[in-house]
Amino acid sequence: MHPVLKEMADVVQKGPGFLKTLKARNKKKMIGYFFPVFPGEILHAAGIHPVQLYPSLGDPITLADDHLQTFLCGYVRAQWDQVLKGVHGYLDGVILPRSCEAVTFLYQTWRRHNPFDFIDHINIPWKKTPDTLWFFRKELERVKENVGSFVNREITGDVLRDAITIFNKNRALLREAFKLAKNPESPFSNLDGFHMVMSGFFLDKTTHNELLEELLNGAPHLKGFPAADPPQVRLLLSGGCVLDTRLLETITGAGAVAPVYDCNNGQRSFCTDVSMEKDPLEALAAAYARTPCGFNTAIEDRFSYIKDLVSQSRAKGVLFAINRNCETEKFDYPLLDQKIRKELGIPTILIETDYLCAMGPLRTRIEAFVEMIRDNHQVEENQNEKR
Amino acid sequence: MKSVEHKRPAFNRDIALAMKQHYSNTRRVRPLAYTLMSSNPLIEVAYAAGIQPAFPENYACVCAARHASPRYCAKAEAYQYGQDICSYCRNNLGYTHAEKDDPPNGGIGDPDLFLITSSACSHYFKWWDTLREIHEKPMVFVNTPRVMDPLNMPDYYVDFAKKEIRAAIGQIEEFLGTDISPEKLAHAVYQSDRTVAFWQRLLELQKTVPAPLGLSDLSNALFVLIVMAGTKEGADLMEKIYHETSVRVAEGRGILGRDEEKHRLLWLNIPFWYNLKLLGVFESRGCIFPISDYCQYIWGVTRMDNNDPLEGLARKSLEGELNTSLDDHIEKLIEDISAYGIDGVVAHSNRSCRVLSVGLPDAANIIRKEMNIPVLVLEGDHADERVYSEAETLMRIDTFLEMLG
Repeated sequence: MHPVLKEMADVVQKGPGFLKTLKARNKKKMIGYFFPVFPGEILHAAGIHPVQLYPSLGDPITLADDHLQTFLCGYVRAQWDQVLKGVHGYLDGVILPRSCEAVTFLYQTWRRHNPFDFIDHINIPWKKTPDTLWFFRKELERVKENVGSFVNREITGDVLRDAITIFNKNRALLREAFKLAKNPESPFSNLDGFHMVMSGFFLDKTTHNELLEELLNGAPHLKGFPAADPPQVRLLLSGGCVLDTRLLETITGAGAVAPVYDCNNGQRSFCTDVSMEKDPLEALAAAYARTPCGFNTAIEDRFSYIKDLVSQSRAKGVLFAINRNCETEKFDYPLLDQKIRKELGIPTILIETDYLCAMGPLRTRIEAFVEMIRDNHQVEENQNEKR
Repeated sequence: MKSVEHKRPAFNRDIALAMKQHYSNTRRVRPLAYTLMSSNPLIEVAYAAGIQPAFPENYACVCAARHASPRYCAKAEAYQYGQDICSYCRNNLGYTHAEKDDPPNGGIGDPDLFLITSSACSHYFKWWDTLREIHEKPMVFVNTPRVMDPLNMPDYYVDFAKKEIRAAIGQIEEFLGTDISPEKLAHAVYQSDRTVAFWQRLLELQKTVPAPLGLSDLSNALFVLIVMAGTKEGADLMEKIYHETSVRVAEGRGILGRDEEKHRLLWLNIPFWYNLKLLGVFESRGCIFPISDYCQYIWGVTRMDNNDPLEGLARKSLEGELNTSLDDHIEKLIEDISAYGIDGVVAHSNRSCRVLSVGLPDAANIIRKEMNIPVLVLEGDHADERVYSEAETLMRIDTFLEMLG
């Protein structure tokens, strides 16, 4: 394994432990936020280490049940459970966006039991009009002021622009890496892609940029995986938060590759660049409002995004991995599924995941799905040969 | 078990007639707009514009009450809408895809337009977007923000809500091909405010012992408050409801007699629409629900000045529990528990209504601790009776009532 990929995997696996060590070293305040709809640039510009929050998968949920019922998203419950258990003790604060119902309404619960010094929320527009973007800019300005007051520091336009430059570079490098992943002989496995993105949620962006540059500079020399026989089936993975690495390993084990992920901790988090031409807050508002998460994006726009990803990655099927109680993704799934089958002519499968779910039944279904695509493809090839 | 049906107020019959008229209108009058109920400023705009609003949420309650919801929810599930989606939405999507043979209340017509606000459950945007895809009709969307800190709401929230409503009016005018008369809009806001004024006075009457109305009467009256908001008929009916209730108070008449009313309880979250007779179980044991957060804090909380309709509608769109959360209402709940002489709480932990259920365990714990009164938590769903267990619910209620004494 390339040493950079190994380092990234190590960061992700250690997660909160890595952040505690980092904090002890750099002495920076750390603020967490949910989903790639909040601009980490604002925190970076304030000299704060931004952390996009996702729960670690491992310990059973025990304390969160006192506050959050079992019919709420397992990942949100796990995240809150880990906060209550002090797993995220490195955090100085949190910012919760208006997103899915569970996260949105966690704000007051969090505020009441707040173990940190700072908490804020932000409304994300669902419509993309000049008025809603004006409003989003006002929201960003409010949060920026609150963050600035918290660290007693003015966040000027210049430092914000500098932060945007660093974050834009990060997004560009990730896009470049995933362009390679789309190649037939990708140097990256499913897990590598996951670690490349997720490590960026923990690492300082400049450090993450350096690692990505080192990795990509060596890319022509990276040895691609030997062509599999039979060839790997290419899939698009789509869902809210795909955090369970066992799922990625299962996909690999089934003889498939998911070169891109349409999920909050995948492509959605680096697909939009921020313009350097405008007022920085206006530019951030315009870019982040367009992050194609399920909760803020109409079905038509989601389909258009998925269509592009399918085309770029030459995916032969779409695997929806949607968490139990993820109302947002569950709502979009039926019509997206219908459109993909009808308009893109490729098969789909829905698997329902959950925090610490049993993988056995899912493995059987994924294997059958991959096998079905491979067989269909073989039949098509045979027919083409006969013609 | 004693029946208290004969003690129910007469206005329920008027509401039933109004409801019948409303559903008839939704099949007859054009243009028809599917309109969200939750603090939606476009209800008044629709009436002012001569558009007939129809309310899929209310129709889901009707379907649940008539036990049609299971088949509609199952139909939606057959179309791959998961069971973890809100049962109002599943009911509606199932109804959309189902054969329309003998639907409750005669059914509702197909929409020409969608009038949506974001001052409701977050996933409603997904629901209406889905309906827009299915029906291929235009959607007018007032994308107001959540108010997570109502005491410190920034000024620009109201300005933005006004911009959104102004833009929505423009879109509706474009759809109709004609302007909405400012006088008609002011009149609708005036009638809506009249309705709210009588509603708020009605809730005050509920502090009386014995409580003049029960939760099912209040839930019925919500139809007038929400569906008829902005109409003279609605305001007149609410006035009638208020006056009849005033007379009941003056005469000392309650759903239970003064000597029968042993306990005054607070209901949290949406009632089980498919089993409102459960409230009768409480009544037969000397318990009445003078208030619930569902009736008290979601609708009818905003007074509007018809001299400035946009300002009033903007504030309406930002206020109410669905746009702020139960968590934020805990202090108000504590105040009302004292004001209404509440000595026990029944909290519905509603599996497919996240907006009213997140924060409920905290609310229950705080009430227990600060008010030293018992809280019974019932698991269920507002419209999908398939997940409701009558035996378990009754057993828990029985234990709770025994404890109350």
